[in-house]
Order: sequence, then structure tokens, then C-alpha cells
Amino acid sequence: MVDVAIVGYGQVPSVRCTEITETQMVLDVTQQALRMAGVDRHDIGFTVSGSCDYLAGQAFAFVQTIEAIGAWPPISESHVEMDGAWAMYEGWTRLQEGDVDLVLVYCHGRSSPGTPWQVWPLQLDPYHLAPLGLDPWSLAALQARALLDAGVASERDFAEVVARNRANAVDNEYAQVSGKFDVDALLAEPYVRNPLRRHDLPPISDGAAAVVLASRDRAAALAERPVWITGIDHRIDIHQPGMRDLTRSESTTRAAQAAGLADRPVQVAELSAPFSPQEVILRDALALDGSVEINPSGGALAANPVMVTGLVRVVEAARQVRERGRDRVLAHATAGQALQQNLVCILEGP
Amino acid sequence: MSAAKDTRDDGPRIMPFPVALHYEMPAAPAITRYGEALIDGRIIGQRCTGDCGLVYVPPRDYCPIDVIELTAADDVELGDHGTIVNFTVVTPVQYPGQEETEPFARVSIALDGPGGMLQLQDVLDTPVSEVRVGMRVAAVWRPEGERNLDELAAGGWSSTGGGIEGWMPTGEPDLDVSRLAGKGF
Repeated sequence: MVDVAIVGYGQVPSVRCTEITETQMVLDVTQQALRMAGVDRHDIGFTVSGSCDYLAGQAFAFVQTIEAIGAWPPISESHVEMDGAWAMYEGWTRLQEGDVDLVLVYCHGRSSPGTPWQVWPLQLDPYHLAPLGLDPWSLAALQARALLDAGVASERDFAEVVARNRANAVDNEYAQVSGKFDVDALLAEPYVRNPLRRHDLPPISDGAAAVVLASRDRAAALAERPVWITGIDHRIDIHQPGMRDLTRSESTTRAAQAAGLADRPVQVAELSAPFSPQEVILRDALALDGSVEINPSGGALAANPVMVTGLVRVVEAARQVRERGRDRVLAHATAGQALQQNLVCILEGP
Repeated sequence: MSAAKDTRDDGPRIMPFPVALHYEMPAAPAITRYGEALIDGRIIGQRCTGDCGLVYVPPRDYCPIDVIELTAADDVELGDHGTIVNFTVVTPVQYPGQEETEPFARVSIALDGPGGMLQLQDVLDTPVSEVRVGMRVAAVWRPEGERNLDELAAGGWSSTGGGIEGWMPTGEPDLDVSRLAGKGF
């Protein structure tokens, strides 16, 4: 196994609607990540990106963003139609080949041009679910209802998740929604999709993020405090939400097992829980107790640039190691509907 | 009454599932400047301040060769005369929305002056068989007051619709386009 570390990262503040192009956002975050790593773009052996053409409403929209990384003379690059955390997984895999030692990963998502509740049903099974127009809010509400019916959580638990994440986000310059909120006041708000209120839903966001990965010797030479990826794995549950227990996330548990979560406790967990009840499910799936700080960034309830949210969790977790001196932290990313697919990544200091 | 009976009698059941997605994207600042210039009867581009020195039209506020940011200060005024350096003859297939019925040419034009190249442009009043590399052309502007930005895509790629009707051959002698190599294509 080739040891891999994060030696640079960058992100832009999430906003409801950006006026600059995605290529310009990518230029910003990749330049940040390269500068932090102290490497030139010509040193990069492989580049991989994550995004979704349905957000931009244009076939091969992702190709334009390659202009931001300098593809002339030609470079070796790849793209996944997934969150940037999965692009990072491909980058990590590529480094296992041993013939390149630096990988640039970036992702971008601009939900503002389209209509998310019309776009997202199209990711569902085209025969039984997509024609229903089953949007992510309704799916998350079904999941929340299952939690309530099982007696696992209460609406107050959901509101407490929201209040904590938004309070954490106050100090995060990249967050979109933040502030001190009273749980009783949140519970007095009307339902958007019973039992979910507006604050249980993520904001609609535009954003981008990037990381630079290096294999062992290069990482040690580049960074005083490389952030080592000591475990990374992703698993997927069955697609049909009616054929799995929505109150649990078996794929998260299995990914965490494969990533070695149980080896030693983590101090921080950055979770991709765009809907507040999902944080309850993830804490349980990862067996995180009260000693673990959850989402010091504010998480996906504070900013949810779709296709970027997962890699931002990795960047925020890496900041905890590089900038805050933590030893061992967890980053989680999710894809699909109602936590269908999940990636768990363990990051450690030297 | 039962679905099973229908299926036996009539073969597979067809379920129409029309999908329409609506997107609205604000024009980026660089495209806004370009569009305002078109309304004004001018074509603007942007010269890279890095090593390549290429002129991009429309401006895009970065250079993909040198991978640096550019700003409005790097905008340059371009000529509205140029030379055809490449072309494609399209034979239209009558898919829904296709308004063309006869073969037509789409040309790439290297602009005079500081440089820059426009792609996918129309040549007016010229048989397809006469369109050629090296041909000199001039922009035919829509009358002032009739120009609009309706056809300008948010990305703005080589779009001149709404400002320029198309390009008319000038009758000048053809240009040896090898002189233009390295100027943006």
C-alpha cells in the first residue's frame, strides 16, 4: 500500500448564486491548493474532478473547467459524475500505482441555475420513482418519519442538530447559513415536508473545492504536517428506498469498518448530513459517542454545494489536523438518495 | 379492468414520461462586458498578460494556457474585419427545432488588428461552394436599436448573435493564412 497524504487544499465560500463561471471558481480553489502544497501545476501527475452535468444543464459541462488547470500541453486527467470525495478516492487509487507522486483533485457544483426539486428526481429509478417527482425533501421526510416511528429520535433531536451546526458555522468563513438559534423557536416553525421544517433542509449552494494528494516521500518533503489518509472506503446500499431500513446506514458502517475507524478513537467527525435527521443516523452508524466533536464547520446544513459537500468535509477534517493540531479525524461523504452511498475517510497527523 | 389483461391484449404498456428542466444562469462579468460592447457596435477580447499573449474573444477573465486570472483592464478592442481560417459545411437533418433546410457553412474567423478568433460564424449571401480558407470578410452589424443580447449564451462562446447578422465577403484578395499561425488557433 502506498501511503498518501493531503498536502494542500482550497475552497471558496458557498453562496446562493455565484455570478462567476465554474471555471473561475475552480481556478481559485486549485491555485489555493497548489500554493499551499508548494508545487507547480506542471508537477502534477494526474488530475481528477467531480461534478454533475445536470446541475449546469449542459452535456459535458465539466470539460470547460479543465481550462482552469492548464491542459496544454496535454495532461493526464479523469472525471467522476460524483461528489469530489469520490474523485479523491480515484486520486488515492491512482497513487497506489506508484508511477505518479502528486495528484490534483477538484470539484465544483452550481445548483443555482436549475431547479433542484425537478433535477434530483431524475437520479431515481426511471420506472417507479422518477415519474413520481419524488424530490430529496420528500425522501428525507420519509426517512425522518421512519426515525420518529421507530422511536430512535424526536423532532427536538432534529432541531438540536440544526442549532448546533448553525452555531458552529458562525466561525466558518465559507459557510452560507449560520447563527445562534433557539431550539424551541425552531420547533415553532411550520413544516415544509412533515416532519421536516425549513431549517432541517440544506441551503441551495454554489461552490468548489480542491485538494492536492502526495505519496509518502513527496508528502514528507513538501509538508511540515502532512495529513495522512490512513483509511478510505466507500459502500453502497440498495437503490430502492422501500427495500432498506431507512433508519440505519449499513453502507456507512461497512465503509467505516474497512477504513479502520475502530482502531483508535477520532477527535472530530465531519459528516455529510444535508438533512438534520441524517446526522442522527450517521452518528449511530459510525458509533460516535459524545467525546467526538461533530461538524465544527457547521456541516452540510450550513452550506451544501452539491458535488462539493463531501470533499469540503475532507478539507475541513484536514484543517483540523493541519491547523488545529488534531491527531485523528473522520470525514464522511454521501451520494444518491437518503444516504444511499457513503464514503468514510480517516485522516491522521504525523 | 385488470392491468394484466391489458398487457396480454395490447402488448407492452407505454408510459410517456416527458421531462422539462429550466435553467437560468446570470452572465459572468466578462460576458456582460462583451455583450454591452456588442450592443455598442464593438467586438472586445482579452489579451493574456502571461507568456502566451493570446487574445481571447469573448473575454473570460482567465487564460487557460498560462492558467492565470485576467481582469477587465486586459480587455482589448478588436477589428470587425477578418479572414476565414477554417469552415464546416453542415447538411441539416430535419430534427425537431432545426430551422435550416439547405447546406450551410459555419466558419472560424481570425480578426484583424490585435487578433482573436470567432468560431461558428455565418457567411452571408455566399454559396457554400465559394466559402474557403483565406477569404476576407467583414461584420454586418444589426442596425443600432435592433441589437439585443437574447442569443448570447451565459458562457458566451464565440456568440455574436443579436449584435452581428453575419459576415460578408469583402472581395479583397485571399490572405495566406499560414501568416496567422500561432495567433489563436
